[in-house]
Amino acid sequence: MRKGFGKTVWTVLFLALCVGGFSGVAAAAEPPIVIGAPLATAFLYGWDAERGIKLAVEEINAAGGVNVGGKKRPFAVEVIDTRDLEPGVPVSEALLGVEKLILEKKADFIVGGPVRSEAALAAMDLLSKYRKVSILTTGVLTPAYHKKVEGNYDKYKYCFRITSHVGVMANEFITFLGEIKKGHGFNKVYIMVQDVEHARKGGEVMKKMLTDKGWDVADMKIYPTGTTDFSVGLRDAAQKKADILFLWMDMPESSILLKQWSTMKLKALPVGFVNAAEQPGFWKATGGEGEYLIVNLVNGGNAPAKITPWTMKFAKAYEKRWGLEPEGYGTSSSYMAVYTLKEAIEKAGTIDSDAVITALENVNLMGVYGKISFDKKSHQVIPSLDPAEGAVTSIVQWQKGKRVQVFPPKTAEGKTLLPPWMK
Amino acid sequence: MEILLFGIINSVTLSLTALGFTLVYSISRLPNFAHGALYVTSGYIVWLCVNTLGLNYLLGIVVGIVATAIIGALMYRLIILRIRGMQISEIIATYAIGLAIIEGLRWGGLRGSTFTLPSFLAGSIEIGGIAVDHQRLFVLGSGVVVFAALGLFVKFTKTGLALKAIAQDERAAMMLGIDSDRKALVSFALGSGLSAFAAVLILPLGSIVVETGYNVLIYSIAVSIIGGLGSWGGAIVASFLIGFAQILTEVFLSTQYQMVISLLAIIVTLLLKPSGIFGKQKELDDRV
Repeated sequence: MRKGFGKTVWTVLFLALCVGGFSGVAAAAEPPIVIGAPLATAFLYGWDAERGIKLAVEEINAAGGVNVGGKKRPFAVEVIDTRDLEPGVPVSEALLGVEKLILEKKADFIVGGPVRSEAALAAMDLLSKYRKVSILTTGVLTPAYHKKVEGNYDKYKYCFRITSHVGVMANEFITFLGEIKKGHGFNKVYIMVQDVEHARKGGEVMKKMLTDKGWDVADMKIYPTGTTDFSVGLRDAAQKKADILFLWMDMPESSILLKQWSTMKLKALPVGFVNAAEQPGFWKATGGEGEYLIVNLVNGGNAPAKITPWTMKFAKAYEKRWGLEPEGYGTSSSYMAVYTLKEAIEKAGTIDSDAVITALENVNLMGVYGKISFDKKSHQVIPSLDPAEGAVTSIVQWQKGKRVQVFPPKTAEGKTLLPPWMK
Repeated sequence: MEILLFGIINSVTLSLTALGFTLVYSISRLPNFAHGALYVTSGYIVWLCVNTLGLNYLLGIVVGIVATAIIGALMYRLIILRIRGMQISEIIATYAIGLAIIEGLRWGGLRGSTFTLPSFLAGSIEIGGIAVDHQRLFVLGSGVVVFAALGLFVKFTKTGLALKAIAQDERAAMMLGIDSDRKALVSFALGSGLSAFAAVLILPLGSIVVETGYNVLIYSIAVSIIGGLGSWGGAIVASFLIGFAQILTEVFLSTQYQMVISLLAIIVTLLLKPSGIFGKQKELDDRV
């Protein structure tokens, strides 16, 4: 009896191994679909994008891979450091990286960067030359990217952007500040931006739009990258009795600005696009002095929030895989780009560029930060303040060590708070 | 009042960052282009001591300064000594070491802006109606103490006098039995230690980022050239010139021109007085 039972167990185990083994062999036999990811991996917008892409790829592969015309194929990721966010590194470095991914690493698709606007704009010609479909997920906030696609569709139809741009962000800020104006009676804004293209443009756009909306813009200061003392500007903002300190900076030194703001107890609420304040580690880094800062994370899901059923699922999976919450701009969009690509490939039934482009143009996916669909002419993700209608932003405020979503209203989980010295 | 206060703070901060570079050049005539990299390294060592090894902050600072001084000494002993006297090679070698250190730190995980050191003194004080944080005042006070201590060291200690002798006339000092190479090694260690000291004072104001290394190097070179390569007094005067020029630029022109002003100052100085304000290099007539 015991001998017979043992035999049965061994037979079952053998069969299980055969089935599992052969199915594994079958999955492995299909060549992977190679995703090339050109990213500035030494910077937040690069490394968090890499993590987002890898997480999505791991999830998709664990679930069996991508169904390409009835055959399941896994994704493979090839990351290359473009270094395009580093000072002094020429655009050509990033272009070499993209070309290497296409020619040497045999990338079927490009997802991620290049991250710096200038590099991404220059890379569009390469993507066109090699007919490689690309989904831009991080950095690159210039509207010129999607305008270039719209201006010459036949040449640049390979380029999609699943994240936001300055024009959309400025509108979001204006709407958000309008709510604050209504709630607290604020009227004067002091703008501080970094001396880089996207920040200067962002500052100029905001200055014009705020003025048009009846705000009094006291001044606009442009700081060189690497500035370590903002005392004079902050004091000027205090003297001009600014209510809002609007910031647009991606340099790490912006944390100094916030420390000084807190130390000086400036009666102006800091709001803006501040790279240093996006990461979960910002609280510890500033010893809590960055509390009350309101920062735009560009896409929902870059901090935990209940935007769609997928948002918290993603946030938990990210934390489990990488040991910390979604970090900031580039995280959720890079993750979603892989799922969007999967959806398009499965609909197209092939990885042929033209078929995938058509599928991407018709994609309609409820993702981590709302409905993902692209404008058919410009290939820009369609934004909205309602996750049911389009891709939503995430404007958060640092409150007691947490990034609390305060805008858009349909996804807000808390109210905007003022520091005690402003009450 | 605002210009005066922030101008002084900015100037002392600049002179602190440039002091190590100037000291090394004044004694050994070696331009240490790894100065900025050593500045960042020391901050990272302190951060590692406190956050990874769990050491006391003060002990971490001591370890950071000593370790950086040792790195400086090793740099001289293992690399610079072999090429000493070949000026272009010295520049290339020190710059390459600096690049290797910075890239190594980046590769080793020093990325992002979450690496910070705690301030020694929290809070702020109002001076003439202007709020200034305690840490900046601490930097100011420490800078004055360091300048004084360095002055006393050079004037009243045997090593200091030997260093001064070499700085004044290396050949004559050697004839008197002073070991030039050993003193150059001491100057490298001391200069590196000073860059570390500046780092532990200034970095708590912000965060430890590798790119800071390049800015520190640029400002150190600017201060040294304007002040006169190798002149400590000149470096301090140049720091005040650049420091106040930057604040005046911010108040009356625009903040984005601060770096331009510093670099413009170098060009103007080189045009009007090629050896710098207190430089002792030969004038054009002597050189031709």
